Amino acid sequence: MKQKKLFLVVSLIIVASMILAACGTTPTAAPTTPPPAETTAAPTTATTEAPTPVATQTTRHGGWFDQVVFSVVSSDSVITQLQAGAIDIYTDALASSDLPAVKDAGLAYATASGLYYDILYNPAVFTDTNVLNPFTNRKIREATNWLYDRDYLNQEIFGGGSLAKFFAITTQFPDYADLAATARGLEAYYAYNPDKAKSIIATEMEGMGATLVGDKWQYKNKPVTLIFVVRNDSDKTRIPMGDYITKQLESVGFTVTEEYKTGSEASPIWIGSQPEEGLWSLYTAAWSATVLDRNQANIFQEMYLPDSAQGIPVFLANKPDPAFQKLGDDLYNSNFSTAQQRHDMMAEALKLSLQDSLQVFLIDGKAIIPYVNGLTVTADLAAGVQGAQIWPETLRRTGEEGGTLQWGTQDLFGDPYNPIAGSNWAYDQGAIRATQSGDFMADPYTGLYHPFRIESAVVVAQTGLPITKTENWVDLQFQDTIEVPTDAWVDWDATNQVFITAGDKFPNGLTAKRMTRYIYPANLFDTVKWHDGSSFSVADVVMGSIMTFDRSKPESAIYDAQSVPVFDSFMSAFKGIRIVSTSPLTVEYYTDTFQLDAENNIPLAIGWPTYSFGEAPWDVLAIANLAEANGELAYSVDKATANANNPIEQTSFIGGPSLDILNKYLTQAANESYIPYAPTMSQYITADEAKARYANLLAWYTEHGHFWVGTGPYFLDQVFLTEKSLTLGSFSDYPDLVNRWATYGAPKIADVALDGPAQVTIGQPATFNVTVSYEGNPYPATEINTVRYLVYDATNTIIESGEASNVTDGQYTVDLSAETTAKLAAGSNKLEVAVVPNVVSVPTFTSITFVTVP
Amino acid sequence: MVTESQTAEIIKRRTRNTTLVRLARFTGLRLVALVATVVVGVYLTILIANMGGYVDQIMRNDIRERISQQVAAMNVTHPMSLEARQQLTQQLIAQDVKRLGLDTPFAVRSGRFLINALQLKLGTALNMVSDHGSRSVESIILERLPATLLLMGTSELFLFFFSVFIALILSRKYGSIWDKIVVTLSPTSAAPPWFYGIFFILIFAAVLRLLPFGGLVESPPPANTFEYALSVLKHMILPASSLIISSLFLSIYNWRTFFLIYSSEDYVDMAKAKGLAARDIERRYILRPTLPTIITNFALLVITLWTGATITETVFLWPGLGRTLYRAIGLYDTPVIVGSTIIYAYLLAITVFILDFVYALVDPRVKVGGGN
Repeated sequence: MKQKKLFLVVSLIIVASMILAACGTTPTAAPTTPPPAETTAAPTTATTEAPTPVATQTTRHGGWFDQVVFSVVSSDSVITQLQAGAIDIYTDALASSDLPAVKDAGLAYATASGLYYDILYNPAVFTDTNVLNPFTNRKIREATNWLYDRDYLNQEIFGGGSLAKFFAITTQFPDYADLAATARGLEAYYAYNPDKAKSIIATEMEGMGATLVGDKWQYKNKPVTLIFVVRNDSDKTRIPMGDYITKQLESVGFTVTEEYKTGSEASPIWIGSQPEEGLWSLYTAAWSATVLDRNQANIFQEMYLPDSAQGIPVFLANKPDPAFQKLGDDLYNSNFSTAQQRHDMMAEALKLSLQDSLQVFLIDGKAIIPYVNGLTVTADLAAGVQGAQIWPETLRRTGEEGGTLQWGTQDLFGDPYNPIAGSNWAYDQGAIRATQSGDFMADPYTGLYHPFRIESAVVVAQTGLPITKTENWVDLQFQDTIEVPTDAWVDWDATNQVFITAGDKFPNGLTAKRMTRYIYPANLFDTVKWHDGSSFSVADVVMGSIMTFDRSKPESAIYDAQSVPVFDSFMSAFKGIRIVSTSPLTVEYYTDTFQLDAENNIPLAIGWPTYSFGEAPWDVLAIANLAEANGELAYSVDKATANANNPIEQTSFIGGPSLDILNKYLTQAANESYIPYAPTMSQYITADEAKARYANLLAWYTEHGHFWVGTGPYFLDQVFLTEKSLTLGSFSDYPDLVNRWATYGAPKIADVALDGPAQVTIGQPATFNVTVSYEGNPYPATEINTVRYLVYDATNTIIESGEASNVTDGQYTVDLSAETTAKLAAGSNKLEVAVVPNVVSVPTFTSITFVTVP
Repeated sequence: MVTESQTAEIIKRRTRNTTLVRLARFTGLRLVALVATVVVGVYLTILIANMGGYVDQIMRNDIRERISQQVAAMNVTHPMSLEARQQLTQQLIAQDVKRLGLDTPFAVRSGRFLINALQLKLGTALNMVSDHGSRSVESIILERLPATLLLMGTSELFLFFFSVFIALILSRKYGSIWDKIVVTLSPTSAAPPWFYGIFFILIFAAVLRLLPFGGLVESPPPANTFEYALSVLKHMILPASSLIISSLFLSIYNWRTFFLIYSSEDYVDMAKAKGLAARDIERRYILRPTLPTIITNFALLVITLWTGATITETVFLWPGLGRTLYRAIGLYDTPVIVGSTIIYAYLLAITVFILDFVYALVDPRVKVGGGN
């Protein structure tokens, strides 16, 4: 009997423990304890904890590591695996709500732009006239800015790891830095103030014919009900965010019906339905910015206006202020002639966008990239680590060379690897990026381009275009007319396999808005090697140009209809390309498009053989083209599956059935010393050179078992498709020393201290000192764009803003004149300073409170 | 006049003919029923996987959202005029709509899916690719089959035979301490395998660091075949243990109870009273009559291996069919879902068909097509 009771008790204990354990959080879940308070009042300060790199002396070429091993890791166990030493870095990033767990685990981390969240309103008048849609009213939409406490959302839902967001522009992108003072003023104006929101909403609702019955708005004797579509998937943050918004809207008298839906369930409603149908009133939208965009002038049109390129019905239903419409269109079309004019237009657009508030932006999310201590990690402000072009050049174990890095990622081999239309998955591109170099290097902290393989450039722009330059490697000139030379290549004759020149196609002459001449170093062809040992040659560049055209020509043997739309878009602005010289290689590129920064006016679709999805030498493309021309493989999935009854394989350079086919054509090409596009390419390749190339490629394939060949600091060594793993090896023939980009180890975010009198007499001048430093050293004045100050009175209204005076490196003063202090009433005031460096587009804010007395 | 022997021969022939006719009729009817079941089952799968065509709408909106974002990103590096951008967006959307077959009515596509599936023409996936980069559904499924068979086969077969073996012993020792332990621990099977998996990962990978967190093999995989096999075995310990532990005690308990019922039959008591050896009693009087049930369970278990263990494979990042099917459902990749289903349906139908005959072979009481 006792035994039975004992077993009964044991059974109950086991069952109870399992139930309790099942009800608890998973062991790796992030604790929700709030993070420690930030030391400064600088909401946009990046939290990257990586140590500052020091450019070390070295003789090593290639990558910092001997080997990088990629493996797939479940995101649930990332922190545990990092702690256990199973991986060194997880590059797919965690949500900012995981930040406390990362900190508790004692791990280092970098940050990048994550999703940015907002509330998207349905602005349409509903077909059912008995239903009132309050969000047709711009003032009600605007008022909700005061209704939502962005700081609360950041602290409670995102663990304080994200940023409060008021504008469509990204908080850590250059435009925000440029507009920091304006933005700060608007943020102060639209700071959380539910009473103000309630008052405005009440006035407007009454004006629309609604009545407040009890504490609920009614229209035609029915409650004003808002259908709120809340996303319950993705990173799950939109559920608590939606609940909070619901609570706030209910607090001002609306009746809210929340509908939790996954992305797939929600899209037919907010994208697929007509806004007038009234199937929804508001939606927890989220967007992403994966490229560090230096010019977000188009975003107002895109995020608010009916002519938004997104073409979603909800945008078409918006009826913006005509002034905002015109401003948004002008900004999109670059209808400005100076940087200052653009700045002013952007500042005005910020203001008007908040008045429109088709979308009320709430949070700039941060993606957390955790890694073990002792690594130096460069994270692009937008693209993080795996999306940063610079990662292969900078990621290292601090103070060490060689060794192995264990790289964890959420998946691998999402699509076949081929450089023309292959895998575009971020995790795959993370590996591919390490195998390539290129013409330029995108600055991870400003988005500005630096010369990588090119040495210098000349940008000639049509007079009046608002292009400016920052760095000395580019020479910016203006001309009234830019003629395209008659021998420039403007198109491709796929039948005869020769370029069509400007003289042939445009006998009456052709002009362009911009020309970029980029010059490579004289020793380019001696120093740059492909991973299989072949020397880089001008033929690789010419092949790149041919591939830009050939796939989109119906007469071509490798014609692919999938490529046509993007090609047509390219051709609508392309005006020509010309190889001016092959020693040193000098190329001119003519186009009607331009970027505001001269440095970024580098051709991207033509030139260095970095194709859309990877780099490739001409010989690899030659055999892949043969396979495609013979109908055995196709670069794009569209073409591969076009014939449903007889689909073919999509070209993969790293595995699967493609390898045997490519190998077959490699053998054929080697036997024939095959020169692709011979009428053109034979001017740049001899039969012996072709033979040598194929021999190197065959040796490479024999050793590594794949055809992925690049010029980057790492080469793709081994691929394990089913096991979901790959290894990269350091490329010792890489022309650059490993420390070439070492100074980009961490963003140079300014530390700012503000000092001054605690008490100021009204009507008397006052001086405040600003100290700007980085890691204890004065921040060079040449690296500072602006130090702007804002003076707030006791009601948090800005009464003056201006530029601080530079005294010396790292030292500035803010001089408040007697007239300025005279505008202040007796009481507590605030002086805020925004420091915007040139070398990182992350401004630092700090403020000091002072008392004014008569 | 017919002799007695001739009469017997005629009766015998008639009986044989009657048996053949009965067998043929049973076989034919059974096949028709099974084919109809498969057709209905697969078409229902197609309808469910596509939410009766509603998935088309979801996919169209997903395409619009994705392409809009893609073109917006392109616009950062390749500035375009508004018209050019809108035109490009529309063209790319149209391309994707065509590629995914959304320009054909769902009713037509669903019929096409069904006919192709029944002919085992599995076609190409909409979004998924095999690890080797192929979009062929056949490749996607076959590539994952070995890993699933290895994990599921090892754990399920071990579980089956071990459970039956232990249950048989326990059925002879009803009320013993081991019997009670099994009964006590049987509720542990209420927790699914992945639940144990998480604990095992925490204990053996994170804390003790004895076994890997997941995956098929270490990264990079060993070049030597023997070391590779050892690494796979090492990686299989935790997921296989999770699958086994989560079902072990309940499985033993079930079989033990099943055997106990047969052990208490009168003819078993009679055999015991006659003094037959325990081994003979087990073999002849307990195992023999339970054989159809054991075979049925075993056959169904074998085809269940085909489905994989979705969540356990996901927790351990095991590259098996369960994860593939789960991903296909998430991506609305109908060809992969249908491909996986049709193979399972055929396997199930064939198994059920064969089992009818096997029952007749192992149990004399059963007569194929005997009916009433």
